[in-house]
Amino acid sequence: MTERFTLSSLAIRNLRRRPLRTAILVAALTLMVASLIFALSFVMRVNASIQLTSERLGADLLIVPTGARGAAEDILVESHARSFYMNKSIIERVRKVAGIDKLSHQTYLVSLIGMCCSVPESMVVAFNQETDFVVKPWLKNKLGRNLKKGEAIVGEESAFNISLGLVEMEAQLFGNPFKMVGVLDKTGSGLDTAIFISDDNIEDIIKNSDAKIKADQISVIFAKIKKGADAYKVMSEIENNIVEVDVVMRKDIGKSLLSALSDIRKIFYFTMILSTILSLFLVWAIFTAIANERTREVGIMRALGAKEGHVVKLFLFEVLVLGVIGSIAGIIVGTSLSVLLAKNFSILKNLPIDIGLLSRMLIAAAGLLFGTGICVIGALSPLNRLKKLEPLIAIKQE
Amino acid sequence: MSQISLHNVTKTYQIGEDNLVAVQDISLDIQSGDFISIVGHSGSGKTTLLSLIGGITTPTSGRISFEDMDLSAMGSDGLSEYRCQKIGFMFQFASLLPMLTVKENLLLPTMFVPGSERTDAAKLDDKAAELLRSVGLLDKINAFPCQLSGGQQRRVAIARSFMNNPALILADEPTGDLDEDTEQEMINFFKSMNQTIGITFVMVTHNTELASHTPRRLRMHQGSLQML
Ligand SMILES: Nc1ncnc2c1ncn2[C@@H]1O[C@H](COP(=O)(O)OP(=O)(O)OP(=O)(O)O)[C@@H](O)[C@H]1O
Ligand SMILES: [Mg+2]
Repeated sequence: MTERFTLSSLAIRNLRRRPLRTAILVAALTLMVASLIFALSFVMRVNASIQLTSERLGADLLIVPTGARGAAEDILVESHARSFYMNKSIIERVRKVAGIDKLSHQTYLVSLIGMCCSVPESMVVAFNQETDFVVKPWLKNKLGRNLKKGEAIVGEESAFNISLGLVEMEAQLFGNPFKMVGVLDKTGSGLDTAIFISDDNIEDIIKNSDAKIKADQISVIFAKIKKGADAYKVMSEIENNIVEVDVVMRKDIGKSLLSALSDIRKIFYFTMILSTILSLFLVWAIFTAIANERTREVGIMRALGAKEGHVVKLFLFEVLVLGVIGSIAGIIVGTSLSVLLAKNFSILKNLPIDIGLLSRMLIAAAGLLFGTGICVIGALSPLNRLKKLEPLIAIKQE
Repeated sequence: MSQISLHNVTKTYQIGEDNLVAVQDISLDIQSGDFISIVGHSGSGKTTLLSLIGGITTPTSGRISFEDMDLSAMGSDGLSEYRCQKIGFMFQFASLLPMLTVKENLLLPTMFVPGSERTDAAKLDDKAAELLRSVGLLDKINAFPCQLSGGQQRRVAIARSFMNNPALILADEPTGDLDEDTEQEMINFFKSMNQTIGITFVMVTHNTELASHTPRRLRMHQGSLQML
């Protein structure tokens, strides 16, 4: 078989003519696409984590001590261990608010139970078993009974740590021995790293340890509101009547994290816009140079019968090859960076979930589209000028 | 019906404020199978005239037609097809593409033929080899232009102009940098193509001796055409 000589073989021949210049252009595209991929992964990961947490919590409102809103989000979204307290009597005052359906309260304790340095402080959540609708629905295997004193359920990540022997569960927890009797499904929230015990244990804990907690203290009240009730109304009702509490709506969970991140996001977007403009300019400059260099050749090809469309195809092929190579390299670099650097971003490190393969693929597709798009757009004007040139004028150009 | 006819064709170039008349009010009929030579001083408008006939530039006034089809009515793509399928150009200056081999340079015009994807690639290769043999350069088929002498490059360009079976060859000093023997070989090749296939030739030359042997001789002088 004789190999056919085609426009694309010609384009590839052209690509090889100035390897250094080609390499610079590809490198610039790689950087641009990589930064896009990195920024998108970061933002999507934060958003996805927050959304999942709020969806899975099962409560419409979170009622926490005044000023503890940020700390509560720290726990739920970022898996930090925090403690804050309010008086138990607040439960009854909340129950009186119109529109409230169910309430369940929990008490947060911070414990150092790690056997070695790699396990951070753990949240110990003492929950009320009679009213609970937040913890037990996530049990992997239904227990079928209430937790007894000295029994604990653990979040999926804690369970993993325990299975690795990093956490010694049979050991003392606040001076009391505990036994693991169940594991929760991954909730996608900070609760995955927590240990759950019944609030019957609090008395013993106060007795046997130096935990600074009193028997009538709780940390959070989860509220479900009645069907048809207006969450905003209920929230403002609670906040107006009970000065000791703040209320977080389910859809507002993560808002304080997001606002803390908004500056980072601005920097990302700003960097993106700058590198896009820079890349566009570079593509434009390089293709203007290429068009000038090859004006005579294009004139000759036109005289030999090439249509404007042939000239466009020839250059577009070159542009697309550069764009696709640069974008793919950018996708690889950007994705690797976002995976590797995640460990160095304290915000990301504590986020309960990573973005899925589908999201990564979507981000990659966006990067490919963007990288090649920039190439095509940047090359458009020099290419347009080139194809419109009268062949005789083009041929005479040096 | 003439193959090519020019009616009062004028081409002026604008240089700043001034107009330079490169081709002035030329009317000319070329019949299919003609072999025409054009002589004239440098700057008299020979290249401009060939370029007008070949549709790579447009007249300022007047009308050019190919087989009664007005070139100005063809549009950009129509003109490209006209150049591709009807015209063979031998340019005055080096015109090979430097990144392509001799063979690829010959195949270049065939890529622009509509439906070229369906033609047999092997046949095109054979044709390129055949034409290279005719100009005595078959052994250079895989060389790059920079590896050839000026005269060899010239002959490759000559071979290339025949690749798409043109009806009309526009040759702008095709033998300018060839020695006498090679020049004669090329002219013999042209004559045989003219006589056996009936390809029309319009050839610009500075060699009056050569011109004197062509059936129809024209002289250009300051943009105007005179019969000899
Ligand atoms: N692009 C242009 N702009 C301005 N003037 C031009 C241009 N091209 C050609 N000319 C002028 O038109 C005239 C005819 O040029 P042309 O190239 O046709 O001459 P020629 O007969 O082919 O000369 P030579 O034998 O030297 O090749 C010349 O005076 C030249 O200066
Ligand atoms: Mg000339």
